[in-house]
Amino acid sequence: MTKRRRYGYAFLAPVLVFLAAVIVFPLLYAFWTSLHRVRGLNVTFVGLANYARIFGDDAFWHSLSVSLRFTSLSVALHIVLGLALAMLLDQLRALRTPVRILFLTPWMVAPAVGATIWLWLLEPQFGVVNHLLRVLHVIDAPLAWLGEPSLAFASVVMVDVWRGVPFVMLLMLAGLQTIPQDQYEAAAIDGASAWQRFRFVTLPNLRYLLVVASTLDVINTIRHYDIIGVMTGGGPAGATEVLPVLLYNTAFRANRFGDAAAIGVALLAIVLAFSLVYLKITRPDRELASA
Amino acid sequence: MKRRTRRQIVLWGVAAMALVITVFPFYWMLNTSLKPATDVFVSPPTFGPSRWTLDAYASLFAHKPMARYFVNSLVVSLGSTALSVLLAALAAYGFTRFFVRGATAFIVFLLFTKMLPETLLIIPYFRLMSDLGLLNTYWALILAYSSFALPFSVWMLIGFFRSIPREIDEAAIMDGAGVLQVFFRVILPLARPGLVAVALFTFLIAWNAYVWALVLTTDASMYVLSVGIANMVGEYRVQWNELMAAAMIAAAPVMVLYALLERHLVSAITAGAIKG
Repeated sequence: MTKRRRYGYAFLAPVLVFLAAVIVFPLLYAFWTSLHRVRGLNVTFVGLANYARIFGDDAFWHSLSVSLRFTSLSVALHIVLGLALAMLLDQLRALRTPVRILFLTPWMVAPAVGATIWLWLLEPQFGVVNHLLRVLHVIDAPLAWLGEPSLAFASVVMVDVWRGVPFVMLLMLAGLQTIPQDQYEAAAIDGASAWQRFRFVTLPNLRYLLVVASTLDVINTIRHYDIIGVMTGGGPAGATEVLPVLLYNTAFRANRFGDAAAIGVALLAIVLAFSLVYLKITRPDRELASA
Repeated sequence: MKRRTRRQIVLWGVAAMALVITVFPFYWMLNTSLKPATDVFVSPPTFGPSRWTLDAYASLFAHKPMARYFVNSLVVSLGSTALSVLLAALAAYGFTRFFVRGATAFIVFLLFTKMLPETLLIIPYFRLMSDLGLLNTYWALILAYSSFALPFSVWMLIGFFRSIPREIDEAAIMDGAGVLQVFFRVILPLARPGLVAVALFTFLIAWNAYVWALVLTTDASMYVLSVGIANMVGEYRVQWNELMAAAMIAAAPVMVLYALLERHLVSAITAGAIKG
């Protein structure tokens, strides 16, 4: 080994040791746990019994379906609203920076804190949302936002959208600025309508970014715990029990660590599938090779 | 010209509406936190500042260990920042200066760790920390948060270090400086903007994190702000003005940090997300 390479390893070693201890080892331990029955200090090997049990349990499939609905709806709304906001902001001719910072606020604040604020906004009796909707004659009687299954699902999606849109907006704003202005001018000369300019200039130019942002957003949304954990804890009647919440409840409420680890491995498999898509699109290895 | 002005007015109208919806929850947090207790449970609610007072803050600090939560959040966030920046700088330096083979695998590994579902890791992590007797310690949280911030930090710093010409290192080595000296005395000062962005990023991740602290701290004196606040929700009778005052205390520092350093952070995060 050359001296140069030895230096390279010496500088990388602390991070590698650290990640091995704090990420890789716990990850392997999670797999190991998923193959065991854990009752306090009493640990027995059970093979794939935990997997068999969770896959045979309706609660898991229900949670998976909640997760998929939650994620697809949230991500779709993040992308559509994020792109719309970015285009809007891109066309403002003054005060763009302060406006952008204000739009980013939901994304800056801790999700757990944002969720707490929304708990108060949505409070059935004294919450301001019910008050405003009644003043505007949208509803006649106060709604129990988090007390009724379908409303609770809609509420957590809404809060997640509130929190998630700014990040997509940022990405899209960066993307919009890379579109050559002369493409718009050429389209205008050809007599393209606003919709046509969007459809044939903006969208094709943002295609790569839209795919990357959606994939990344799916990964971030499907594994997110905090908002639902704080707002409903998965209730009412499991209506908002996405996989990370089911996992948490199984481990730390029901004390079934083996089952929880098996749920976690299933969640990991889903996240991993999207991560591979992400890696395939962005090709960080190729970019580094060329750099 | 006139048409363009009209267009701007329409755009501003839409933007203002979107802004109100986005920011209103924060206004409501502020408004509620400044209400006297008697005004919290009234219908219709009051919107304006006519009866604002700092009572809720005073009572919060009198009845809850808010100062303690704040200090805990601060210690954990600063600790994670220091650890993560140091490790990331070392790795990025080694990576850009000495490494040839295995580099791709290293980057893919970093990206992979960035995407792991944290709830999966919490189970083994909780058991390990409890076996090691590290539950209810700052260390448990500092290690967890650093590990989550590290991949992105390394990635970001690689970009910064690459922009520093190697001739600078070589010149310093010619002058008789050792490798470590070059790293600490020459490279780190030059990479300062990158280090600031990474430090800020890690600080915010740690400050805003919730579920790790929820699991790894059971002793109320070790709660960080996010956990302390979420726990207040479960109380028998929620004092919403105090709860919103607590939320203000958690949210205000990050908002100020962002507003001051937005440009710095945003460009780095956008680039990181697009590239990986």
